[in-house]
Amino acid sequence: MSTAFAPLTESLIRHRGVLGAMVVGLDDGLIVHSTLQIGVNGNAFAALTASLYRKARRSSNAAGFGATGFLELAAEQGRVCTAGGKELVLVVVCESRVNVGLLRVELLRAAEQLP
Amino acid sequence: MASDDIRALSEELAADPASLAFVPLGEALRRRGDLEVALRVALRGVERHPTRADAHDLLARVAADLGDVERSITEWETVLRLAPGHVGARKGLGFVCFQLGRLEDAAAHLSAALAADPEDGSLSAALQTVQAELAQRGPSPVRATTQVSRHALAEELEAAAAARAALTEQHVRAARPTLGLAAAPGADDDASTLFDDLLEGQRSAAMLLDSDGLVLAGRYVTADGRDLAALIGAQLSGVSDEAGRAMRHLGLGAWTQIVFETEAASVAMAPSREGVMLVAAARPIPLGFVRRVLERALQRASQWLGEGA
Repeated sequence: MSTAFAPLTESLIRHRGVLGAMVVGLDDGLIVHSTLQIGVNGNAFAALTASLYRKARRSSNAAGFGATGFLELAAEQGRVCTAGGKELVLVVVCESRVNVGLLRVELLRAAEQLP
Repeated sequence: MASDDIRALSEELAADPASLAFVPLGEALRRRGDLEVALRVALRGVERHPTRADAHDLLARVAADLGDVERSITEWETVLRLAPGHVGARKGLGFVCFQLGRLEDAAAHLSAALAADPEDGSLSAALQTVQAELAQRGPSPVRATTQVSRHALAEELEAAAAARAALTEQHVRAARPTLGLAAAPGADDDASTLFDDLLEGQRSAAMLLDSDGLVLAGRYVTADGRDLAALIGAQLSGVSDEAGRAMRHLGLGAWTQIVFETEAASVAMAPSREGVMLVAAARPIPLGFVRRVLERALQRASQWLGEGA
């Protein structure tokens, strides 16, 4: 199903090493729109990444650092990158080899279009 | 509290945004049921007074009333890090743990609160309620559903808040932290200066935290010379806890690094033995620099911990 967010996720999934891109509700962690490769558990990534982003945002505010923009979680077998608006966040699941710098720029640009 | 009092407190806060009037104002709004307004007041208070336990306590109580259990737990845990003997935070955590069915935790928090305030009869009643639930539960955990004790504890929280509001407030101004190593408290302390030579500048900081978010080494010195390492560490260590929880479900193995950018700083974290290494650099210091410092600080921490073992 195509939505207004399809161009955002499709521009991100084209990057080498990106396995999935999603627009996710920040408060509920539910997928609003996704473009995923087969085998990627979008629901789990959406829920847990939104939760992590909320946590980072609250902690950052409490520490006096202000609003949170880009966030990257690197793990032994992959990465998750996210950036968000007030209500929605973009979540990108990728392999470790992904060019994080390029992805970050694209992600922040795409996130500007989120409500 | 009457509307006139709320208006007076609002005017006081408007006239002096650094005023501590936000505590009784937020509490009054919370009691009146204006939770969204109370939340905004509490959030601004925490942002302006991040080292004040009563600011975090207010935010926790408002969050609890809004049903945001996660935030209330985070804030009350922060209160306990800032003020380990804080009875209100113990009561609050007792309440939310009870709500979540974490009866052992609830009993522990309420017991600690009662130990600090043994004259509090309603607190002992709440503890008895939890202990009775524990006894009934038996070997298999059952989620608590009753709301009765919640109200009893909520009344206690309100009473404690009223007592706090009556206390004379100490006016401490704490602006948003601005990184800088101009003044250097504890400069002779090997642990606090462990990472200073890695920072290559005066607008970044590195800290090694234990699993409870307490500072083992490093420091976070603001431009006006205050060391906020304990506060920053306590606030940000929760992010790594959340990452650890997430990794158990994502099938990506253990987390190796978290990087995030905020309005004021770029932050990078990585696991280090049983704790976390944290590096923060004021914007617009590039993210790549922060990551490099993190890697070098991790090596330094590993050596230091090895020497200490």
